[in-house]
Amino acid sequence: MPANFEELVRTHAADLFRYAFWLARDSQQAEDVVQEALLRGWRAFPRLRETAAARAWLFSIVRNEFHRARGTAAPAAESLDGLELADERSELIGLELRDALLALPAAYAEPLALQVLGGFSCGEIARMIGVTEGATMTRLTRARQMLKRLVEPRARKGAKP
Amino acid sequence: MNCLDYRRQLLAGSGEGDAMRVHRLGCAACTAEWAQHGAFEEALRGALQVAVPEGFVERMARAPALRRRRFLAAAAGTLLAAGVGGYAWLARQDPLAMACIDFVMKEEAKSIMMGPMPRDEARRMLAGTMPLEAVERVGQVKHVGPCPFNGRNAYHIVLTVPQGKVTLLVMPGYRMDGPRRAAKEGMSAAVMAAGDGSVGIIGTDVAVVDSVMGALKA
Ligand SMILES: [Zn+2]
Repeated sequence: MPANFEELVRTHAADLFRYAFWLARDSQQAEDVVQEALLRGWRAFPRLRETAAARAWLFSIVRNEFHRARGTAAPAAESLDGLELADERSELIGLELRDALLALPAAYAEPLALQVLGGFSCGEIARMIGVTEGATMTRLTRARQMLKRLVEPRARKGAKP
Repeated sequence: MNCLDYRRQLLAGSGEGDAMRVHRLGCAACTAEWAQHGAFEEALRGALQVAVPEGFVERMARAPALRRRRFLAAAAGTLLAAGVGGYAWLARQDPLAMACIDFVMKEEAKSIMMGPMPRDEARRMLAGTMPLEAVERVGQVKHVGPCPFNGRNAYHIVLTVPQGKVTLLVMPGYRMDGPRRAAKEGMSAAVMAAGDGSVGIIGTDVAVVDSVMGALKA
């Protein structure tokens, strides 16, 4: 059991904020979500048994709080089949990477944030968002494919006049 | 593994496994892809790392303590304003919960000095009401001993949780509707139904008492 909740918060708060930002796409909302989540976490803290699981636990609380605040059930097993980058988005091509991330559907941005910021494995992410490991890998692959397309300068596609 | 497999796995972002490395070392195209991908991942990490608001981590680290202090101040204020009529459960002092606080303030030290009971016996005596294993999942058990309480045989447990020390009084055979509460002199107590009896939880902080109560129920 971790010694101290405050210590845990200091270690993880910055990444929890970033994760919440990529869920909410809004700084103020992200801050509110993390604050509420940490209060819930603080109350439930004595029930946490393994220090090793603390980071995943905190990320999960943030995720639940985000969906609670939204008034939506966490879209666990939503189907993304056929959700490809729409053609009309092609004018976005040449974006800065951060803008490209903002243009990415949340169902793709979230596993990416969990992998790159959270440092979680595909299996861990799958459990957190409630889809299979295979589906998680597909989302991660497609997320990067989309990003690469979005940031690719038009000139290279010969589309620029 | 072929080039397509290699690129698909690269895009999944889990790093390069042995099979992948073997393919890359023998493939110029994938070596070029790999170099490009490394730069992309670096940029991706940077793009995901949005700026954290000034002072955010400090605010978050202190938020639960602040909220707790505000709550206690508000409760105390209400009590004063209403001339001890006010804050629902703080004002409705339950005698049993109050006796739990008195126990901690007056009898606890003596009870600990009397010495602990053998673990096997503690397990057996607590099993029907609040199994020792369940208590050990919530925090570190520092003491378990028998103690007369409220005219009955009860068991006294001293527990440390991350937020501090909490005392439990396990009362087999004493059934009631819970939780009942009391607070005085900086102590807070709740008594809840458990198994064939009830358990009193006493601590210096109402939020921690609640938190332990929730954990024991789970
Ligand atoms: Zn190749």
